[in-house]
Amino acid sequence: MGLLSDIYNTVAKFFRPQEEQGDASKSVATNRLKLVLMQDRTNLTPKILEQMRGELIDLLSRYVELDKELLELNFEQEGNQVALMLSIPVIRAKDEEEIEAALKAEAEKLEQKAENMEEALPEGENSDICEEDSSDEQDMVCESSGSDNTAMSTPEGMTSNNNQEESQKEIQFEEQGS
Amino acid sequence: MAGRVIVITSGKGGVGKTTTSANIGTALAKAGYKVVLIDTDLGLRNLDLLLGLENRIVYTIVDVIEERCKLRQALVKDKKNPNLSLLAAAQTRDKSAVNAEQLKEICDTLKEENDFVLIDCPAGIEQGFQNAVAGATEAIVVTTPEMSAIRDADRIIGLLEAKEEIKSYKLLLNRVRPSLIKSNDMMSVDDVVEILSCPLIGIIPEDTGIITSTNKGEPIVNDEDALAGKAYRNVAQRILGEEVPFLDLDEPKGFMAKIKNAFAKLKAKV
Repeated sequence: MGLLSDIYNTVAKFFRPQEEQGDASKSVATNRLKLVLMQDRTNLTPKILEQMRGELIDLLSRYVELDKELLELNFEQEGNQVALMLSIPVIRAKDEEEIEAALKAEAEKLEQKAENMEEALPEGENSDICEEDSSDEQDMVCESSGSDNTAMSTPEGMTSNNNQEESQKEIQFEEQGS
Repeated sequence: MAGRVIVITSGKGGVGKTTTSANIGTALAKAGYKVVLIDTDLGLRNLDLLLGLENRIVYTIVDVIEERCKLRQALVKDKKNPNLSLLAAAQTRDKSAVNAEQLKEICDTLKEENDFVLIDCPAGIEQGFQNAVAGATEAIVVTTPEMSAIRDADRIIGLLEAKEEIKSYKLLLNRVRPSLIKSNDMMSVDDVVEILSCPLIGIIPEDTGIITSTNKGEPIVNDEDALAGKAYRNVAQRILGEEVPFLDLDEPKGFMAKIKNAFAKLKAKV
C-alpha cells in the first residue's frame, strides 16, 4: 500500500499546478520584511506601535463599537509619502446618549487621574491602573470603566437588534516620509 | 559635452554591484558610447578582475588624487573596446584615502570627455558610499529577492532620496530565479517593486554563466546567447532611453509545457 500511495502522490504532484506546491515561504518573507521596513522607515518600535494601537482603540471606542481583535494598523508607502492605514471593523455606531455617557466617563477618568497625580499617592484600584502607561493596562482601563457605565454595559443586547453587518471604515493619517 | 554620472550601489555586499557595473559599462561601450568605470571600493577592488584588466593597472584613483599621475594616465583602456576605460581602486589603501569632494572633482572632469561615468560603489552606508555618491546625479540600486538585500536597498533608497544631487534612482533586481518564484519560495519581481516602491530598470536572471564569465574576466554581455547577458543589454538600452519590455522569465506551466521544457533542456545539453 505504501508503495502505491507513493506512486499516487508522485503522479498527482506532477499534474498539480506548481502554484499549489511547496509552503509559501515567500509570503512569510514578504510579511516579515514589510513589518521590519515599517519599523526602519518610521523609527517606531513594536512597543510604541502597540501603545498607539491601544490609544486609538480607546479613542474610537467612545464613538463606535469596534472589533478590537480585527483592528489593523499598517504603514503603506505611496510614492514619497508614508501613510498610516487603519482598518477598523465597526460592529455598530453608537447613538448620541451612549457617546455622551462615554465622553463623560472619560472626563471623569481624567479628573480622577489629575486628582491622583496631585495627591501623588496610589490609593485604591483605580489609581493603580491609571498610573500605568503601557497599552495593555490602558485596554483594561477602557474595558473596566466601560462595564461600570451604561455606555458599554449592554452591547450584546443592542447588537442583536442591529444588523450584525460589519462595515469597514478606513481612516488615513498622512505623515511625512522619513 | 557633459556625460551622465551614474552610481551603482546596493547597501548589502555580494548582490552583484560590480558585475552590474562591468556589464552595463561594457554594453554601453558596445553601443558606441564613451564610458569610464570608476571602482571606488578602496582596499577591496574587483572591477578590474571582472573586466580582465587586472594586469594592466599601473596607477589607481589614489595616485590621481595624490597627484602622482595625471587622470588620463590612470585610465586603463579595455582590451576589446576602446570606448571603455577603467579607473581602478587602490588595493593597499582604505576608504579614508579619498574624500567626497575629490571624487566629485574626478567625476566632473571625466564627464566632460565621456558619455557615461559609472561608479561602482562599495557595500555599506559609510564613508565609501558617501564618496561614491558624491559626484553622481543618477543611481542604480542593485538588490536580490532576499529579505536582507531588500532591507538594505530600502535604507539606501532613503539615503539617496535625501541627496539633492541624485535626480533619479532605479532598481535592478538581480539573481532572480523564476522556478523558485513559481513555487512561492522566492519573492516575485512585483513583490519587491511594491515593497520598495522604486521604478525598475532591469531584471537579471540567476545565470551560471556569470561564474564562468567572471572566471574568464569577460563580462557576460559579450555572450550573445546568455540570458543574463541579454538582460544586461536591455538595461543598457533602457538607460539610453529606449523602451524595452522586461524579459519573460516565466517557465512554461502545465503538463505539455513541462514535457516540452524537459526536451528543451535535454536538447541544450546535447
